[in-house]
Amino acid sequence: MALPVIDCWIVAAVSVFGEAFVLGLASGPACIASCGPVLVPSLLAERSGLKLNSRYLALFLAARLAGYLLFAATAWAAGALLTFAAPKRAFLFALIHILLACVLLRFAHAVGRACAHGPAATQLVTIGAPRNHAIPGAAVLGFLTGVSLCPPFVAAGVRAAEMASVAAALLFFGVFFVGTTVWFVPLAGMGWIKRNEAVITVARMAMVLIALYYLVIGLSTLIGIRYGY
Amino acid sequence: MATNASLPLGREFRGTGKSLLLTLPIAIWSALMFTGWFRHPNRAEQIGGGITATFMIALFFMMMRTSATYRWRRWFFVAMGLLFPVGFIHNVMVMRGTMGIPIEEMIAGRTPFCYLPIPMLILPAALTKTVVFPGSILPGGGMSGAGMAAMAGLWLAMTIVVGKGWCSYVCFFGGIEEGVAAVPSKAEIRKIDPRWRYGPWAVLLVMVLMSLALFEPAYCMWLCPFKAVSEYVAARNTLGLVQNGIFVVAFGALVIVLPWLTKKRTQCSFLCPFGAFQSIFNKTSVFDIKIDRERCVPCVLCQKSCPTLSLNDESIGKGETLMSCMKCGACVDSCPRDAVVWHIRGTEVAVKPERARLMFLYAAWAMAIMFGGSIIAQGLATILHVVV
Amino acid sequence: MKLPIAKFGYTAAGLTVLAAVLVPFVLLGAFTKGFASLGLHVSETYNGGPMVRTVQMAGYAIDIHRPVAPHMLQPERPFVQLDWKPAGTLPPRVSDLVDIDGDGVPDVHVMFDVPEDPKGQLRVNVESLNPRYEAMHNVGKLKFSELIVRVDDAVLVRVPLTP
Repeated sequence: MALPVIDCWIVAAVSVFGEAFVLGLASGPACIASCGPVLVPSLLAERSGLKLNSRYLALFLAARLAGYLLFAATAWAAGALLTFAAPKRAFLFALIHILLACVLLRFAHAVGRACAHGPAATQLVTIGAPRNHAIPGAAVLGFLTGVSLCPPFVAAGVRAAEMASVAAALLFFGVFFVGTTVWFVPLAGMGWIKRNEAVITVARMAMVLIALYYLVIGLSTLIGIRYGY
Repeated sequence: MATNASLPLGREFRGTGKSLLLTLPIAIWSALMFTGWFRHPNRAEQIGGGITATFMIALFFMMMRTSATYRWRRWFFVAMGLLFPVGFIHNVMVMRGTMGIPIEEMIAGRTPFCYLPIPMLILPAALTKTVVFPGSILPGGGMSGAGMAAMAGLWLAMTIVVGKGWCSYVCFFGGIEEGVAAVPSKAEIRKIDPRWRYGPWAVLLVMVLMSLALFEPAYCMWLCPFKAVSEYVAARNTLGLVQNGIFVVAFGALVIVLPWLTKKRTQCSFLCPFGAFQSIFNKTSVFDIKIDRERCVPCVLCQKSCPTLSLNDESIGKGETLMSCMKCGACVDSCPRDAVVWHIRGTEVAVKPERARLMFLYAAWAMAIMFGGSIIAQGLATILHVVV
Repeated sequence: MKLPIAKFGYTAAGLTVLAAVLVPFVLLGAFTKGFASLGLHVSETYNGGPMVRTVQMAGYAIDIHRPVAPHMLQPERPFVQLDWKPAGTLPPRVSDLVDIDGDGVPDVHVMFDVPEDPKGQLRVNVESLNPRYEAMHNVGKLKFSELIVRVDDAVLVRVPLTP
């Protein structure tokens, strides 16, 4: 009699987590759209090389997952997952975006300093030697995008709230995350883009522009200005 | 051929007869285009069209006679930049009574399509077949004009011909700052960090990402300075007012103040994402500008004269301009040793450069007359309509 | 090798000049048709989506559109557009029960006054009879996903859907 019971468990687990993976796959483009404005410029500011860019991407995604899981665990414990659609979400969303903006600005500034301390060259400058390039921005940026409550995260959260335990909810989020990550893997190919003064400067300027956008949106939401037309 | 002290050094006058002969195709083209600028033209439009056709022919004649390009092209470009808002704003006021685009017009698909958001619309269209612009694919009445398909078709056709030369011969906004930059006798700010010229690429990257994420033409909503002289989304809330404030500040700073202080086209050089996008076509363009390194000293007069910082020590050393070169001709005209020359890809540098210049000018001026001429004629007709 | 490449360059330059001449007569029309045939459509956030059903009322009709879902991170909610037309024949006060999903049961109760001046301000109240549709209180035209506007000879109401 044990065999059919085990079968049922396996089928149920595969069904639920298969759903999580497919949800993640379907949400991937929205995740790219949500994280892209932060990830693409900051990845461009990293040194060239497939290995380095893959490492940056992995760090970003790991921190993003940590953000997902931390938020999910906290909200599940507080019984608040089902109320993600509440207006208070907008307030939290705004705070996170303002923080993200500050980190992006700091990151853009730090990249500039790293370039300045790099080997001098009359021609286009490359990022300095590894010792001068100690920017842990990937983790911070990844974490903040992870907790920024983008629509796919909310959709997964509502579903995860139906899980029987917090462990199951976290596992659901983890599998969902794996589904979305499939879409991020090609971004490691940015390692093939040669980094020179042009690319780094564009990346820094892009980070500043994105940061300004997040600041405006975050502040507008905080002071109660309706967003959108 | 006679020389003239008022011409840039190295330039020589071409004889009047030969100049007229070379201008003849343009004169025929102008006459032909004149008949197409207006359907059933009224008196003001006939006079405006006639003045425009004559103006364009005269400028081309002077380009032939003096062998200089930049200053004559600039007359056309500034005229277009100043007269476009005249005609356009008049039309919007007649059609809807306000420069602000009401939401009703956006829902009805009657927002006129501008070429500036083209780069931002590509990804959403490619991925979801959706055009994230509140216009009409085909003519939709009101201010929708010929429709987005026609504007996109016009953009593609003209880009094939002029490439990044769009920014010198087609863009109906660039002439404003080029005119402002021409007014002061010398620049107050002479030292500009050359890294600012990467700005358009950063703006392009951000606007493409944001347009894909938000499914709206992000540049038009947030940053385009030229909404100050055309139209803008009517603000329906405080955030809308903030967005409109941004474009007013951007226009004042990048189109008026900085061009005045630097004598450069600062909006084009430091912000315009469409310019960055068009730069890609410099890689495929048949025509370019080269530097004969045997003649070059280098005095860097070309670098100083370039309105878009498209020459630096490294590029001069390589004998070429940077990707952002708009083919305006300023560097060619400023070179005292005829080292900077017009060039056709594949041919030898500085061998028959005048032939390259002529071929380029025939193509570019034809586009200028077809498109820019209609804008100038429309603007003149709007003004003349008051008195005629 | 230089001469053939140079000839190629001059040929390309000549073709470019030719292309310039052809733009207003051939190329523009061809490219326009090409773009028009790509099957692109304007974002439904702007045009309200395709119409699916018409409900006949006394002297006017209500066109019901397919619900529109926002894309990616659009700051809009899903909505359904309802068109009252022709606006010229609408009574001064409209108060209609509308069955949006066609199941025979009214889903919303829409109420708005029709000003005599076509450019007059419009405000709408929507009572939700189906939890799928959100109520609206004295709404004007603040957002694409929640508004009432007059466009030509129709009054458009967009009712947001519950997320």
